[in-house]
Amino acid sequence: MALNSKSEDMFDVILLADDRFHVEGYREGYEEGTRQGLTEGRNHGGTHGAKLSLEMSFYYGFALTWKCLLQNSTEVNTHRKKLKTLETLLALLQSFPYDDAQYENLQQDITKTRAKFRQVCSLLNVLTDFREFVSTAGGLSF
Amino acid sequence: MKDALQLLCRFTAHPDSRCWYVAWSPSGSLLASCGGDRTIRIWGKEGDSWACKAVLQDGHQRTVRKVSWSPCGNYLASASFDATACIWRRKEDEFEIVTTLEGHENEVKCVAWAPSGNLLATCSRDKSVWVWEVDEEDEYDCVSVVNTHTQDVKHVTWHPTRELLASASYDNTVHLYQEEDDDWVCKVTLEGHTSTVWSLSFDPSGQRLASCSDDRTVKIWRENQPEDVTGMESSGSDPAWKCVCTLSGFHSRTVYDVSWCRLTGALATACGDDSIRVFREDAASDHQQPTFFLSTHVPQAHRQDVNCVSWHPKEAGLLASCSDDGDIAIWNYQSEA
Repeated sequence: MALNSKSEDMFDVILLADDRFHVEGYREGYEEGTRQGLTEGRNHGGTHGAKLSLEMSFYYGFALTWKCLLQNSTEVNTHRKKLKTLETLLALLQSFPYDDAQYENLQQDITKTRAKFRQVCSLLNVLTDFREFVSTAGGLSF
Repeated sequence: MKDALQLLCRFTAHPDSRCWYVAWSPSGSLLASCGGDRTIRIWGKEGDSWACKAVLQDGHQRTVRKVSWSPCGNYLASASFDATACIWRRKEDEFEIVTTLEGHENEVKCVAWAPSGNLLATCSRDKSVWVWEVDEEDEYDCVSVVNTHTQDVKHVTWHPTRELLASASYDNTVHLYQEEDDDWVCKVTLEGHTSTVWSLSFDPSGQRLASCSDDRTVKIWRENQPEDVTGMESSGSDPAWKCVCTLSGFHSRTVYDVSWCRLTGALATACGDDSIRVFREDAASDHQQPTFFLSTHVPQAHRQDVNCVSWHPKEAGLLASCSDDGDIAIWNYQSEA
């Protein structure tokens, strides 16, 4: 009897090997995938976060510089409208949630900030090509 | 007498090119047209025919898509695929460029002057709508850039009496904007069309808005004031707009333009099947659920797509249309009602 059960166990090992290796392989693969996915996600987030930060920081520097220039100008009164719009842009940038990666209105806020920046450029009569810093709407239509 | 649209005159406005849009001056004495030949032409009636009074060129590098007269009739704004809008000042029969509005990233699709004359709206393939403020010295300042559409914005138009702006887009929606804290914000989104919305027209009172689309329908939207007690839902102080009528089954191709006559209430459409149709509201129908009937239909109004229809502001029944064939046609609409 004892011999019988032992040989059954042995056969079991062979018979169930397929299943066991499958489970083990899956577990190992899952762990490796998780690790790689995390690294990939981290890099992806890092790259995009950096791009976005660069863009927002560019707006901030731009707005701050123009604010200083206009405020110290001798005709500061003629620039009231421009200054007001610059202030609005600065306020948007300062309230931007740089630390909150899961902020749900991120896309909406980015769109709003970009639109405000374009208005500022129009008011300041600055039409330089900022493509290096600013992402633009692409795609084709008719 | 049956309802009919009778051709009064037809002439080539933009030879070997498309005529995109026509606009009557506020007094109705002049008709401005624009086209693929990069020019704007001003037409005036001489006897029974129409003569070209002025050709406005050198303003744009590419197709001029739309034109809009200022309410005073002394300025004309033009929107072009060269990413700019031009403002022209009228002096007798001459026009000169006052300023060029830059800022859009690519093709400007439409320009519209607000009834006050102090505001101007432009829209573009760059998905944005810009509102400009005009001061006494002909200075144009951008007061807002709104980026709420997800696709190409095809058309902008102002409410006839209030400072309310409407835009139509390739994203199948219509957006309504109002000023709020120094910025223009989208207050209402009208969803219902299943393809590009090409054009918009308010009714004479401004209570209703007609939209036409690539989905071959025209929809009538009605504003429901918050104090309205007729049962339609509206939130807070923002009035709700609701689709009260859909004209489907009439058009066999894209409906490119819709014009609601300020004088007669007739609704004209320009269609990609080369025809012009005029609809009238059934006088007996419920205001909450109006019904419109096809009053008249001109199958081969033009040789190609009809791009625009425009009712004369002073003379009831006078309609101008233009087409890809480069022609302008002037029609007289008569109804037995």
